[in-house]
Amino acid sequence: MTDDKKQTHHEDDKDMIKLIDNLNRKDDVHLNRRAFLKASFGATVAIGLATTPFGIFTFLRDENGEVKRVEITDIDDLAIGESRNFNYPTKNEPAILVRTPEDKFVAYNNKCTHLQCPVFYEHKENVLLCPCHKGYFNVDSGQPMAGPPQRELPKILLEIKDGKVYAVGREVRHG
Amino acid sequence: MDKKRAAFLSIFLFIAVNVVSLSNAIEGYYGHEDERVYAAVTVALVSTILATAAFFIWKKAEYKK
Repeated sequence: MTDDKKQTHHEDDKDMIKLIDNLNRKDDVHLNRRAFLKASFGATVAIGLATTPFGIFTFLRDENGEVKRVEITDIDDLAIGESRNFNYPTKNEPAILVRTPEDKFVAYNNKCTHLQCPVFYEHKENVLLCPCHKGYFNVDSGQPMAGPPQRELPKILLEIKDGKVYAVGREVRHG
Repeated sequence: MDKKRAAFLSIFLFIAVNVVSLSNAIEGYYGHEDERVYAAVTVALVSTILATAAFFIWKKAEYKK
């Protein structure tokens, strides 16, 4: 190979290297330590600010959601081991009041926390049963005992006064 | 550890804090646990402010001639 040819090859290689450099340049500009940190900072701010709507909606919900006091039934109308359905805190939210064998009143929203099927009181077994997928809840605590539900039933706070049972509040997470 | 490196690393700490806060805010919102939501939002906003401060500290040190 002559010297001229060698020189040409050498220059070609140089050009190729330049070409590769040019190809990588875009990545070098956009995918480097500085850009990575800027993107991470952007993500931090975005995730941090994403919490604010939940705070605002919670505040607005508080403003609208006054604690209601609703009469459910007379004590005498509900025998031991019986249950009664009612709606609380709104008409769209069904609930169940149970007078347990220990003569205690308990109430829960009776939409199953699995797939929202209605929950019924089973007197014989003294449990709350969701018949759709056989979800069992403890009648004393509202906690799931068996089946697919993982969360407790929202608990309705009760007050017994002058022979009547009143719903006075609700705890969605409890126990 | 110098200031620049501390600022650099703290941003990743704040991103972790914000992810946990967002998770708590969502769980608290759907579980009607108002206190939990407010706590998560407060932590997230403070964390975001600190992350912003850290970012500018890093930026100042990084682009210093």
